[in-house]
Amino acid sequence: MKRRYILLCMFGVTAGLTLSAIAQERANSTSSWSAVAPAPTQGISAAPAAAPPSAMAKPAADGAENRAQRLEGEKRFRTNCGRCHQAPHKFPPRVMATAIRHMRVRATITDEDMRLILRYLTE
Amino acid sequence: MVQLPERSGFHGTVAKEVEYAQLDFIANPYMTVTVGRFLTPFGIFNERLYPVWIRNLQSDPLILPIGIGPSNASTGVMLRGGFRADPKFNINYAVYFSVLSTASPVNSDRLAGGRLGIFVPAARLEIGGSFQHGLQDERSNAFGFHALWQPPILPLDIRSEYARSIVGSGYWVEAAYRLNQVPFLQNELRRTQVVARMQQFFVGENASDALLPMNTKRFEFGLNYYFIDGLKASSNYGRQFSTDGNKNVWTVSLTYRFVVPLGHAGSE
Repeated sequence: MKRRYILLCMFGVTAGLTLSAIAQERANSTSSWSAVAPAPTQGISAAPAAAPPSAMAKPAADGAENRAQRLEGEKRFRTNCGRCHQAPHKFPPRVMATAIRHMRVRATITDEDMRLILRYLTE
Repeated sequence: MVQLPERSGFHGTVAKEVEYAQLDFIANPYMTVTVGRFLTPFGIFNERLYPVWIRNLQSDPLILPIGIGPSNASTGVMLRGGFRADPKFNINYAVYFSVLSTASPVNSDRLAGGRLGIFVPAARLEIGGSFQHGLQDERSNAFGFHALWQPPILPLDIRSEYARSIVGSGYWVEAAYRLNQVPFLQNELRRTQVVARMQQFFVGENASDALLPMNTKRFEFGLNYYFIDGLKASSNYGRQFSTDGNKNVWTVSLTYRFVVPLGHAGSE
């Protein structure tokens, strides 16, 4: 009887911790994204409507380049990190930079891959 | 935990270990110098797949103790890195020297070795080999090969490893399939993974306490459910065949990984 009671308590605690962890992770994920990730087209949409075409061309080009690098970073993430890890966890950029530097050593990924993956995970 | 005769409840010992405590110096884009206690880079499981939130099956491969030293780690110095050798493939390497340490829980053997891997990003295929030379007691060699493949068009992981030394040899092959592409119950099934692993171990010339004392074959099947990135429920069933008798191996686990930033983690 006592053992059943202990098992029941353990199950209850485990279920509680699981639900709490899920709620916390979802909250963290949402807040990190809203705080960190700018919209991919932010550079373009934030440009004043009355700006001359030459002034708009550079931000548009930068935006396209950023998007291309981000896509390449995502590809490198899936190719390298995706061999062991699930979808990326969202952390503040400084934490992410530390984690990526550690994983560069641990997983022996190349310097170029590290930079692109870091860009993808922090932008 | 076990239930001892004439005592109520379950009893056991709490395991404590220092997996690694290392200092990394990134000397240049091609090489990092590591000193301290590090996971021995022999094969792939010990260094890359050992964390419980990464491995697909919670049980260790039977050949894991081959080539990794006591307590899975070495103490000394290591050079390692990865670089693009050609537009089509990368090379990664690690060479290390470990000193003898008998201080538990940071014990290690005196040995030297290395691992070399070739990774083809387009095919998501890595193959490689490991070598190790023991420098204490009997001066014996150990070697192994590994392969990892993640077909780009399928949510499938195939991992395999072979190792051989004076204490034994063997291999394991593991396939894990994420049910992303099943057309029904997509919200649940995309979080679900089925795993199968086959492995075999052959006893070597010398006995080792860390390895099984007889030839053994084991088949395992597992089911994982990923609630979120850092929270996973796993279960697996295995059947082990050996001259000592056949037995079932059951494992159930719940893994939660958390990160606590030390210091200020600002948004810049």
